[in-house]
Amino acid sequence: MENLDAARLQMAFTLIFHIVFACVGMVMPFFMVVAHKKWLNTRNDIYLTLTKSWQKGVAIFFVTGAVSGTALSFELGLLWPEFMKHAGPIIGMPFSLEGAAFFVEAIALGFYLYGWNKIPEKFHWWTGVIVGISGVASGILVVSANGWMNAPSGFDYINGEFLNIDPIKALFNPAWFTQALHMTLAAFTATGFAVAGIHAYQIVKKRNVALHKKAFKIAITFGAIAAILQPISGDLSAKDIAERQPVKLAAMEAHFETSKGAPLYIGGIVNQETQEVTHKIAIPKALSFLAFGNLDAEVKGLNDFPKDEHPNVAIVHYAFQVMVGLGTLLLFAGVFFFITLSRKRTWFHSKKFWLLFTVLAPMGFIALEAGWIVTEVGRQPWIIHNIMKTKDVVTPVPGIVYSFYMYVILYSILTIAVTWLMSRQIKSLNNKTLVET
Amino acid sequence: MMYVVLFFLAFSLLLYVLLAGADFGAGIVELFSSKKNQAITKKTIYRVMGPVWEANHIWIIIMIVILWVAFPAYYNIIVIYLHIPLTLMLLGITLRGVAFVFRHYDAYKDKSQILYDWMFKISSLLTPVFLGITFGALISGKIIHTTTPIDYSFKILYIDSWLHTFSILTGFFFAALCAFLSAVLLIGEASYGDKKIYVKKATIATIVVVLFGFITILYGYISKIQFVIDFVSNLYAMTTILISAILLIPLWSSIRKGRRVLSRLFAGSQVLLILIAALTPHYPSILFTTDGGISILDNVAPDSVIKVLGISLLIGGFVILPGLFHLLKSFKMIKILERH
Ligand code: HDD
Ligand code: HEM
Ligand code: HEM
Repeated sequence: MENLDAARLQMAFTLIFHIVFACVGMVMPFFMVVAHKKWLNTRNDIYLTLTKSWQKGVAIFFVTGAVSGTALSFELGLLWPEFMKHAGPIIGMPFSLEGAAFFVEAIALGFYLYGWNKIPEKFHWWTGVIVGISGVASGILVVSANGWMNAPSGFDYINGEFLNIDPIKALFNPAWFTQALHMTLAAFTATGFAVAGIHAYQIVKKRNVALHKKAFKIAITFGAIAAILQPISGDLSAKDIAERQPVKLAAMEAHFETSKGAPLYIGGIVNQETQEVTHKIAIPKALSFLAFGNLDAEVKGLNDFPKDEHPNVAIVHYAFQVMVGLGTLLLFAGVFFFITLSRKRTWFHSKKFWLLFTVLAPMGFIALEAGWIVTEVGRQPWIIHNIMKTKDVVTPVPGIVYSFYMYVILYSILTIAVTWLMSRQIKSLNNKTLVET
Repeated sequence: MMYVVLFFLAFSLLLYVLLAGADFGAGIVELFSSKKNQAITKKTIYRVMGPVWEANHIWIIIMIVILWVAFPAYYNIIVIYLHIPLTLMLLGITLRGVAFVFRHYDAYKDKSQILYDWMFKISSLLTPVFLGITFGALISGKIIHTTTPIDYSFKILYIDSWLHTFSILTGFFFAALCAFLSAVLLIGEASYGDKKIYVKKATIATIVVVLFGFITILYGYISKIQFVIDFVSNLYAMTTILISAILLIPLWSSIRKGRRVLSRLFAGSQVLLILIAALTPHYPSILFTTDGGISILDNVAPDSVIKVLGISLLIGGFVILPGLFHLLKSFKMIKILERH
């Protein structure tokens, strides 16, 4: 394997791993403080048990997220030294603020985890809220750095040099808002459905139903609201891309020829050589409308751009289909949940209802990973859009493939271990409350 | 503003060595304990480190971010030529962090604890060794900084730069320093009966640190490592070392008497003095290649960046330091209350 491919694979693999832990670490604290608040209000012990077990989940995920993040912050330099040499000073602002946010998060988490019965109740609860807020803040900041790679700004690029650097303008680059909004919603959708699904499964298995129903409700409420907002924000992102990165849009839609009133393809098999898309459903004029809000707008096709600036069309197109498909599915599931709320007597006792949400558990995360693949593979061959190519900045150190293998082995073991730990957490939760009641 | 940035860089380095060092050291102390003491140490570590564990390790991230934002050219050389030890260090950090949570948060305490404990102890030793190796490699002058890497073999460029006796000695010196810090810290935290365990450990660790320090310098001098030669002939560095040697006496006696605050203060000042001694003779060159020193101040980021970074650090510092202080204080108070 070439060094470049190995480095790209390693970057992709470690990010795909980190994002799962980061999202859970970002969103779980919110579930936890809601359960905690309900305990403070009702003094119903079920909520206390739930809070404490979610808190353990947060701790495990937080540390795994933190160590994989630490590895990532080195990796940026280790794999792409030339990129960091030039980009580091420009996007340092979000990263240094992110460092501060992490710090606040870690301090607040220290208070929260170890503060039970030691610090005043109210203050203790607030430290939990701070964990959540600073987690989301750090997520937004990293995504802003990524937005800068898509929409570079805050410098003048003259003769291969980055001059007149303005770190604040780079932080608030044109892509930061749409990406950060979409990402934050995605984190809530994915984690909400995943946590709800795990508890739904316990209900299917008839284990400790009273507790799991309460847990399910908290998680799914967050997930469902986010899932309903997600397509709206996704549409904003798409309109943004249409302006900023027309090649990416064309690749997402497998749209080869520039045309007015362009159709939207659903599904389809892409052949990049012959530039054909077979087995698709075409909705006339829909792409023009979605991208520009006008049925007859012109949408640039891939052929308008030099061939060596095309990303891998098939991957981007399939990933986009997966994201949007699952997004639509989760939207319906979210709406469905709110409908059942109003007539819960019947639905909440049906096994089918719980089975449905069990099956939906991984879907949010699959959509989230697919979305990142769209963004990141769709940015290729550029590491900084229209400025710097990925292949020019890869590390000169040979044999990156071995470090890639090391991460694959390490993170696979970690994934298995964390899953196992979580299942033990649930098992003990079920046993504990059985004894107590 | 440059000075603010440099200050935060040095400050993060100091805190990382002190806090994360004591943290790594805890695992090393546990590794070199008898079975009975291991269980005691494990409990004490959890009580002491638990709440601040995460915060201790963020300092390295702050360091890295400062390096890449403000000193990109300098950072560039480190990540290219020391890729391998850095990756190994990351491996250690990962395994150690994971082992720490697993062993304290697993819902069942059963046989898997044995695995977590070993993972924790081994990675606690290896991580600081690789950190030390990285630092040793930085100053040993064996890095070949070239624009035409094709002319050299993989081994010469990316292995020989860090895998040599001097850097390995530095690695062990740093690990010993961590164990020393941790043992001193634990004296004050152990319950009354266990105190003498750590008094003994701290005494041994002090001897080992001094020994490793001496051997490292001696070896560096004999094998003509420029950094060491300059270090030995630098007045400031030698004065600092002399002071730290003199301070060993009160340190020693406060350890013997089991004085918690005083022994920590002296231990901390040892680290501060060692860092000052190591960094001053050549400042601003902290990196040595075969062609001599490379200044950290060469090719720094433009002023606009330094200004924003400095301001961010100041604001961040004002938010974080009181929080951190409060965290440490709150749990210290609680611990003292609990003991009575
Ligand atoms: C739960 C996950 C999830 C769901 C249900 C959706 N997305 Fe998404 N999408 C993401 C998770 C995501 C993401 C992983 O978070 C991305 C990657 C980068 C980003 O900012 O968000 C993303 C990126 C992303 C982009 C590219 C942004 C860029 O490259 O800057 C577009 C155009 C869309 N999405 C559009 C949509 C549409 C129209 C959806 C309709 C249902 C949708 N997404 C559902
Ligand atoms: C966490 C969610 C993310 C995922 C799943 C993800 C996924 C990927 C993938 C699949 C690639 C490989 C693309 C290719 O080479 O074909 C990649 C590359 C890369 N990503 Fe991301 N990414 C994420 C977020 C980010 C963020 C937030 C940043 C920066 C702050 C970032 C920086 C990079 C860099 C520097 C590369 C390597 C250069 C390149 O291939 O362009 N990524 N990522
Ligand atoms: C979209 C992509 C990303 C998101 C949303 C994200 C979010 C987060 C969050 C919320 C945490 C806190 C850990 C937790 O609560 O579990 C975290 C940890 C961390 N992330 Fe990421 N991250 C992303 C990508 C990256 C990238 C590209 C880097 C590297 C430059 C990075 C570096 C870190 C570091 C250093 C930590 C550890 C901080 C600590 O010790 O608490 N992250 N990330």
